Amino acid sequence: MKKKIPIWLGTVALMVFLAMIPFFASDYWITLLVLIFIFAVYASGWNLFSGLTGYTNFGLAWFIGVSGYVSSLLIADYNLPWVFAWPVGAVFISIVSIGVGYILLRIRGVYFAISMVALAEGTRELFGTEYLSPITHGGKGVPFVAGIQLSTLYWAILFIAFISLLVCYKIASSKFGLRLVAIREDEQAAETLGIHATRDKILAFILSAFFVGLAGAIHFTYQNYIDPSFAFSIHLTLTPIVMALFGGVGTVFGPFIGATLFTLIHEVLWAELTILYMAIFGGILMALILFFPQGLLGWMKEKGILPRIRKI
Amino acid sequence: MTREPILKIVDVVKKFGEVMAVDHCSIDFERGSITGLIGPNGAGKTTLFNLITGVLQPDSGNIFFKGGDITGKRPYEIARRGVGRTYQLIRIFPKMTLLENLIVVGKGKGEKAVERAMDLLRLIKLIGKKEEYASDLSFGQQKLLSLAQVLMLDAELILLDEPAAGINPTLQNELMDLIHQLNRDGKTFIIVEHDMNVIMGHCQNAVALNYGQKIAEGPCSEIQKNELLLEHYFGR
Repeated sequence: MKKKIPIWLGTVALMVFLAMIPFFASDYWITLLVLIFIFAVYASGWNLFSGLTGYTNFGLAWFIGVSGYVSSLLIADYNLPWVFAWPVGAVFISIVSIGVGYILLRIRGVYFAISMVALAEGTRELFGTEYLSPITHGGKGVPFVAGIQLSTLYWAILFIAFISLLVCYKIASSKFGLRLVAIREDEQAAETLGIHATRDKILAFILSAFFVGLAGAIHFTYQNYIDPSFAFSIHLTLTPIVMALFGGVGTVFGPFIGATLFTLIHEVLWAELTILYMAIFGGILMALILFFPQGLLGWMKEKGILPRIRKI
Repeated sequence: MTREPILKIVDVVKKFGEVMAVDHCSIDFERGSITGLIGPNGAGKTTLFNLITGVLQPDSGNIFFKGGDITGKRPYEIARRGVGRTYQLIRIFPKMTLLENLIVVGKGKGEKAVERAMDLLRLIKLIGKKEEYASDLSFGQQKLLSLAQVLMLDAELILLDEPAAGINPTLQNELMDLIHQLNRDGKTFIIVEHDMNVIMGHCQNAVALNYGQKIAEGPCSEIQKNELLLEHYFGR
């Protein structure tokens, strides 16, 4: 008899506990958790599109950088409160993603992946040029202060992480989510069975852009600084992907678990083994890919520790 | 009510480079019929299926389904109008359960879709495996599942690409019985098959292709008499 895991009871209890953190934890732990949540939303947003459809997005930094810039410039140059600037950034990148998705999602496989890298790199170059510097401040970047307390920022990103988890859960249990998986399994067969693949792919792409963009806006507000090389850094694309791989691509909770474990391991290694940490980290990643390609949750499902249902 | 053919292929041409895969083909398929599509490998049968279902676009010519022009339409549009097909190499969704494989196809959502999917799983006698992954099924069971997907679509015209290939005679009979049952319910079938016993035993009409051209067409009884003609083209 399968043991039913009270998923939502556990998640809500965890959320309540996490919401209390600013009342008793040090700033070190609060900032660590802020980064975990930001990257958890990045990983989850990436997984929502790439994990379900199989179209590997290697240009996640494009969502992060564009939304981050729109939001940061609105705060820095137009004194828009962060509570408005963040959603404006996210909505902006979502709208632009409609057009980009319509064009690029006709390309499959590795060519799609490369075109997204090109988009991120090209936008980074563009934002650093003299031509756009009256708007973007060019290569020197934008230091700014949003007038937000650390605890408020913490609660904001915690809330968004929770909403992101809820949305992923809903999609995974829905017919839309099933259609995305069908597209990943066999796009042509899906089309000949009446599935409007282009529309569904673009919708998933936009949702991914929105959440990743929102987390990106918060990320740069937290950093009090944005510049093109930071905003569109390949690190912002690759780290969430590795986190999703770690936790389990295509699962709902995997990216969150992956982001948490990855960040904690990274912190421990950096603190204890400063010189060697990248080498050891690389070793851990290689072991992961070789022995646990399906990630932690995927492995647990395979072993029967967790049920094989799509919702987790 | 006019007895218009459910599917009209009018002077369709499809070239791949210099190769004429379909060479000025014109074929009518009557509503409620079971038609066999025969010919050697490379004759253009699967290409014709791909043209009908919108996977490929004809270079010239038109295809009409229920009187409407479906030439150049996207596969999902054609499927939603009522044309379903199965593939020579089975293409179900392996990492989805049997129930999910059907629910994802159906129109509408919620309880109704689940009920319909369950009914179809009972029809193909796989209800007991509804929560298993499709990749865990046997080859023959996967064939039945892909047919069930087409039925979930509520397709009026069903294109089957070598449905009898690679399955044991018992399962073959079960499959053909199911096709006849669905035909009595009003569904039209076009079946690509190399097994002449299946064609002659179960189809009313047959169309023979070779090198992309239609070389013979008519009731199976007549095609059978033309065996000498077929031997000349196909050899034995």
